[in-house]
Amino acid sequence: MVVLARLVLPILAFPALVMAQPETQCGDSDPAALQWLDKMSRSTQEISYQGVVTYQRGDDLQVMQLSRGVQGDVASDQITRLTGQGAQVVRDNHPLGLLHPGHMLLQLGDSSGGDCGLATHYRLSMGEGERVAGRQTVRLVMAPRDLYRYGYQLELDSTTALLLKASTVDRGDRVLERFQYADLAYSGRWHEEPGVDVVHRAGQAGQATPGPKMQMAWGLRWLPPGFVATEEQSAGAARRTYTDGMAVFSVFLETLAARMPSGEGVVREGSTTSYTRGIQLDGQPLLVTVIGEVPVNTARMLADSVTQAR
Amino acid sequence: MSEKLRESLSALMDDEADELELERVLSQISQNDELRSSWQGYHHARDAAAGQASTFTGIDISARVREAIAQDGATAQGKAPWWRPVASFAVAASVMATVGLGGQQLSQLNSGYQDRSSYAGNVSPVGLHNAVGATPMRASYGTRSVPALQPATNEAYRELARQRLKQYGQSHAEQAALNTPQGLIHFARVERITE
Repeated sequence: MVVLARLVLPILAFPALVMAQPETQCGDSDPAALQWLDKMSRSTQEISYQGVVTYQRGDDLQVMQLSRGVQGDVASDQITRLTGQGAQVVRDNHPLGLLHPGHMLLQLGDSSGGDCGLATHYRLSMGEGERVAGRQTVRLVMAPRDLYRYGYQLELDSTTALLLKASTVDRGDRVLERFQYADLAYSGRWHEEPGVDVVHRAGQAGQATPGPKMQMAWGLRWLPPGFVATEEQSAGAARRTYTDGMAVFSVFLETLAARMPSGEGVVREGSTTSYTRGIQLDGQPLLVTVIGEVPVNTARMLADSVTQAR
Repeated sequence: MSEKLRESLSALMDDEADELELERVLSQISQNDELRSSWQGYHHARDAAAGQASTFTGIDISARVREAIAQDGATAQGKAPWWRPVASFAVAASVMATVGLGGQQLSQLNSGYQDRSSYAGNVSPVGLHNAVGATPMRASYGTRSVPALQPATNEAYRELARQRLKQYGQSHAEQAALNTPQGLIHFARVERITE
């Protein structure tokens, strides 16, 4: 909770950002679904497993090998691309006790999302899942209650609640992207490592992520309901990232040498939106970029709300 | 507002409207002078609130977009219309501005966010209820100045969006991996993972 408090404080510095939770109406959500979300969030952290995962968006299909090993109170994760670029992402010795804001939003007993938790922003329902990677699953459907986020159809291992398949769906019920396990074993790391060209050491909790800097103090006047900052916002950072526990978006700001004519650019890949817009703050021409797994309109509104902090 | 128009609106918001939908929404706006003047008044007030001189209260964007449609139909049949991203954006902004004034309940609209105080006078924030109807949706207001029909500029912005996705994708995935149940699978979205 201390971590969360530290994350929330910088937001309070912008009074307009202190959002009232909308009137919570979550009676239409299955209470069991909240329990499953909580269980999923914990099992993702606490269980050791390894498997082969497919990730699909449009015609693009990627295959990856993934493993998570938990020893004592630290975990090590690794993901290796088996198709396309020979790249590997490794995160070693990640402390289990350090919960990130996104995980807290999924777990029960946390007051930040109100009593309804994620059911405040998604209507949750349960169903019978299909077989994924040879295991029986339960289906958890998350339908967004507003237009700021996408919906999800999740298949959780009926025994361990591990997330085995996830589809992101838009308002027209079209699947934007999907990942699922093709093979899964509950144990530690792979013994045989595939060859890779690039190894990326992924960021750790509480570690200041190096990134581009921004001279001007800035903030957002508006956030979609239920989104919180993923990390403490350091002064001078050019990136701000927010999550509601399922969706994540990042807002980047950079100075431009000269003012660009007004306009906007949008590129979408799967559920990812990349949105750019030229603005001016205090006479300084800036480029706003929003990258996230959110609809285009959400990105536009975020770009609209970029403001200079006093 | 009819269900059909609502669907078109939704498509416009996602930049997925086809020309028929665009025309349908445009015709709705053009047939209702009151809605159009509300929209213009709204933008005027918003600019005033932001301390800027209003630059485009006199400009009827819907008319300009209709003109563009007509021109495009005459010159570039079958090709992807060069004006579309701008047009749909301008239309989305103008259409959305009318929605909140068209009978949605302001009390409901106001419950989801608190920055309404920054808007002037008796001008209401705009909003849209989705089919679920539980949470209000505030619409985009569009750019801060005239969304001009400049194909080169918008192609440049699209190219920027493409480049920035490559440039920032990994840093975004890093945060997503730490905060959602998919974990490191988020890196699958990164075009080229770098050290």
